[in-house]
Amino acid sequence: MAENGMDHGSEKKYGQFHRRVFESNAALFAVAATVAILIGGIVEIIPMFTPAGTEHSEAITPYTPLEVAGRDIYVSEGCYLCHSQWVRPMRAEILRYGPWSRAWEYQYDRPFQLGSRRIGPDLHRVGNKYPDAWHYEHMRDPRSTTPGSVMPPYPWLLDDRIDPEDVRASVIALRKTGTPYTDEDVAGVEESLAEQGAAIVARLATAGIETTPDRSIVALIAYLQRLGVEGRAELEAQGVEY
Amino acid sequence: MSKETNRVLGHADEADGIEEYDNPLPDWWLGLLWFTVIWAFGYGVWYHFISDRSQEGKLAAEMQAAELRWPEQAMAEVSFAITPEAVAAGEGIYVQNCLMCHGGDLEGGIGVALNDDEWIHGGEPEDVIRIINEGVPEKGMLTWGPILGPEKVNQVAAYVLSKNAELVGE
Amino acid sequence: MSAATAAPGRIVVDYDDDIVRKFFLATVIWGVVGMLVGVIIALQLAWWPANLGLPWTTFGRLRPLHTNAVIFAFAGNICFTGIYHSMQRLLKTRMWSDTLSKIHFWGWQLIIVSAAITYPLGITQSREYAELIWPIDVAVTLIWVVFAINFFGTLAIRKVKHIYVAIWFYMSFVITIAVLHIVNNLAMPATFLRSYPIYSGMTDALVQWWYGHNAVGFFLTTPFLGLMYYYLPKAADRPIYSYRLSIIHFWGLIFLYIWAGPHHLLYSGLPDWAQTLGMVFSIMLLAPSWGGMLNGLLTLKGAWHKLRTDPILKFMVVGVTFYGMSTFEGPMMSIRSVNGLAHFTNWVVGHVHSGALGWNGMLTFAVLYWLLPRLWNREVAYPKMVTQHFWLATIGIVIYTVAMWAAGLMEGLQWRAVNDAGQLANPIFIDIVHRLEPFYWLRLLGGTLYFLGAVMMLINVFKTIRGPERVAAAAPATAPAS
Ligand code: HEC
Ligand code: HEM
Ligand code: HEM
Repeated sequence: MAENGMDHGSEKKYGQFHRRVFESNAALFAVAATVAILIGGIVEIIPMFTPAGTEHSEAITPYTPLEVAGRDIYVSEGCYLCHSQWVRPMRAEILRYGPWSRAWEYQYDRPFQLGSRRIGPDLHRVGNKYPDAWHYEHMRDPRSTTPGSVMPPYPWLLDDRIDPEDVRASVIALRKTGTPYTDEDVAGVEESLAEQGAAIVARLATAGIETTPDRSIVALIAYLQRLGVEGRAELEAQGVEY
Repeated sequence: MSKETNRVLGHADEADGIEEYDNPLPDWWLGLLWFTVIWAFGYGVWYHFISDRSQEGKLAAEMQAAELRWPEQAMAEVSFAITPEAVAAGEGIYVQNCLMCHGGDLEGGIGVALNDDEWIHGGEPEDVIRIINEGVPEKGMLTWGPILGPEKVNQVAAYVLSKNAELVGE
Repeated sequence: MSAATAAPGRIVVDYDDDIVRKFFLATVIWGVVGMLVGVIIALQLAWWPANLGLPWTTFGRLRPLHTNAVIFAFAGNICFTGIYHSMQRLLKTRMWSDTLSKIHFWGWQLIIVSAAITYPLGITQSREYAELIWPIDVAVTLIWVVFAINFFGTLAIRKVKHIYVAIWFYMSFVITIAVLHIVNNLAMPATFLRSYPIYSGMTDALVQWWYGHNAVGFFLTTPFLGLMYYYLPKAADRPIYSYRLSIIHFWGLIFLYIWAGPHHLLYSGLPDWAQTLGMVFSIMLLAPSWGGMLNGLLTLKGAWHKLRTDPILKFMVVGVTFYGMSTFEGPMMSIRSVNGLAHFTNWVVGHVHSGALGWNGMLTFAVLYWLLPRLWNREVAYPKMVTQHFWLATIGIVIYTVAMWAAGLMEGLQWRAVNDAGQLANPIFIDIVHRLEPFYWLRLLGGTLYFLGAVMMLINVFKTIRGPERVAAAAPATAPAS
């Protein structure tokens, strides 16, 4: 094939070099491109695995089995597409939602649920903000608790049930990723589900709501009611104002 | 772009007939590239090393400025009276914000009943106003003071008290 | 099959155009599907009963369907269409393996179908643009390897010595998407349908947005620049403006893009240094991005008069201009204080769609209309409809993005506004939501116009390929095929 062109123009030296070295050697080009696209990720991501990268706190406990089940529902319904879990360090956000979200509060979050949109309000500090019954009614019909809300109703969560074996599989997998569950935690999944579920069912009953501990809604309430609670308590204990 | 040569390189037979000009980089483009690179380094050094900034520092400054500008005020003195106007205004506020928990006839539900003479936190106007203002966060009664402001809190309290008197009186 | 012009002394190659036609049709069909879902979720935000009260049709389950359908099915298939078509011609060789091409095509469509089934069922990983569950992720990896082998195999058997700039961009697409996909999806399976990532918390967020931003960079940008470098000079019949600019902006772009992910996590628990890196590298991305826009627009110098009559060039000019706009807006939105206002709001959605509808969509339409008569050897059935499509799409984009910019600015300001007492001026969130409603209706209008344009294209394409074959000048008239 004809090797022409070089003598036609006045390509700067780097043009000639690029043409001779890279453009004629696909393998070399591919290697160079790979190196170029790897550097940034390596520099930014690797330090996150060192102690200096992300903070850890003893104050945050792993999710209970019922909360794990509730979190899976949160993920599955795509709640994160309308709700962030990320209060930013700005006065207006702190006034609206509470203390801003620290890195260590997310330490057991797999997958993370920070979100990128706020079609609805932030939920990172929603734990204990409303009574359980409020959440129950809100999920059944959002407009019954928030007139004019644009959120879709989720009545099926009131009927669907969670499967303890499925939750156990989740707990085991989470343990393998490094969440500090013990053997007892894994063995006691069913018991733990029943116990925490029963407490929520009892609270719902005081508002005249009848349900059973194995409903999806109960798991979701368990998850929502713990959001941001331990973090807020720890910040208060440290005497941090916001 | 005066330096354009519009001289083709003659690579077309290796690019399915597409020619390429040997034009230099536009000066302003190259300037933009260098400007952003220098700015990027300058900003990074300034932010982290010269002025030692951080998002926490920025927040602390914002909070301090707010404290100076809006010092902890005594709850603005807004008069409280159970007038028909206040009750009417209060009813609208109640329907929007309280009805879902305390019910259309104050009968309760998610929140406690307000239609009887049993008050957990006291039934005097100042008790009711205080509880609405401060809430009972651990029980799920919201802190309405900052949300509604003193005037609306008084109005909704007026509504609750007058309606309560009406219901209890019956 | 078509052959390179058999000029004396030239190599005659038997190109595989069958695979190109397949990807072409997939692009057109999935594009309409993806945009239809976009219109549906736009309606849901304006009018909640459109969630239909069914689990499968709620916004939270349909939104990933929209984003995946338009990115991986619509944009993905046009990239493959263009790559399989232009690569063979640029390298003067048939694809290395027709079998691998076919596996790639059917595998990819199957993955899209599995996405369309799993998302409405609520089966998702929740990582934006990487919602596919682990078994499908494994399939994506395998299919990508098939594509990569075929791609590099074809490069190995090329009949030209030097590789043209379009191929550089394609190559960065093939390599980077593989790296991003694998690293971001490393997870521990719990069941067949569910897994948990090996990263947690802020690290997980950083990995995901390193992926997410570079999905924009290497799925919606570099392969599209590759398409631009082939189809724009072809359509305009002009030389590329500057070869040197190609070199500098290519390497600048791929090196800098990777760093910019943390601009999605400004004002979060991510360490300050990482946030700063994300911000400054986004600013540095401006010039390399505009290098691509300049090489596109300046290539049209001397061909501006053709713009008046040629709808394909019209699509290209608007597409490249929107590329320039969104890559100006992006770096601005990466500045800490600007992001503080824009983040979480509809402004981001406006930015996304000025890039997606303006750049990806318009360039896709241009390439499709350019290829249509050539691939099927038929005249476009309704030539005027192409121009009508152009105007519908352009007006649609303008309405969509302006509505979202206004909505985003408004909500961003109202979220933070305080009154004379220093308290929130709009403490009740839902009040602000209600003020967005008119903008959501406007966006629906813009999106619907854009969608209707795509439907017109679908009709035009199917009418064209059912029509009579072009009659070669010398050959006697033949009966129309089918
Ligand atoms: C999310 C549900 C909810 C909403 C909304 C709500 N409340 Fe309450 N409210 C409660 C709960 C729960 C209690 C009981 C607190 C306790 O047990 O100490 C309560 C207690 C009260 C009390 C004290 C009752 C007592 O017996 O002392 C008053 C007064 C009151 N609310 C008024 C209001 C007003 C006025 C509004 C609207 C501006 C409102 N609430 C909105 C849940 C709610
Ligand atoms: C008919 C045209 C379209 C309509 C009506 C439409 C509508 C929408 C809507 C309503 C959303 C959700 C926004 C929100 O969270 O508030 C969305 C998100 C999105 N769309 Fe579209 N869309 C269309 C076309 C496209 C195309 C062609 C692409 C890409 C090539 C695209 C890419 C995206 C992406 C990436 C998001 C996620 C944005 C984010 O996370 O911020 N859309 N779209
Ligand atoms: C130099 C180029 C660009 C830069 C620096 C940039 C920067 C940004 C920034 C800062 C955000 C907002 C993040 C947030 O606050 O949540 C964003 C979001 C986004 N941009 Fe760009 N952008 C660029 C080009 C583009 C282009 C060309 C597209 C084409 C389609 C695009 C698609 C998106 C998408 C899809 C999102 C939404 C991500 C999400 O939240 O889901 N960007 N970009």
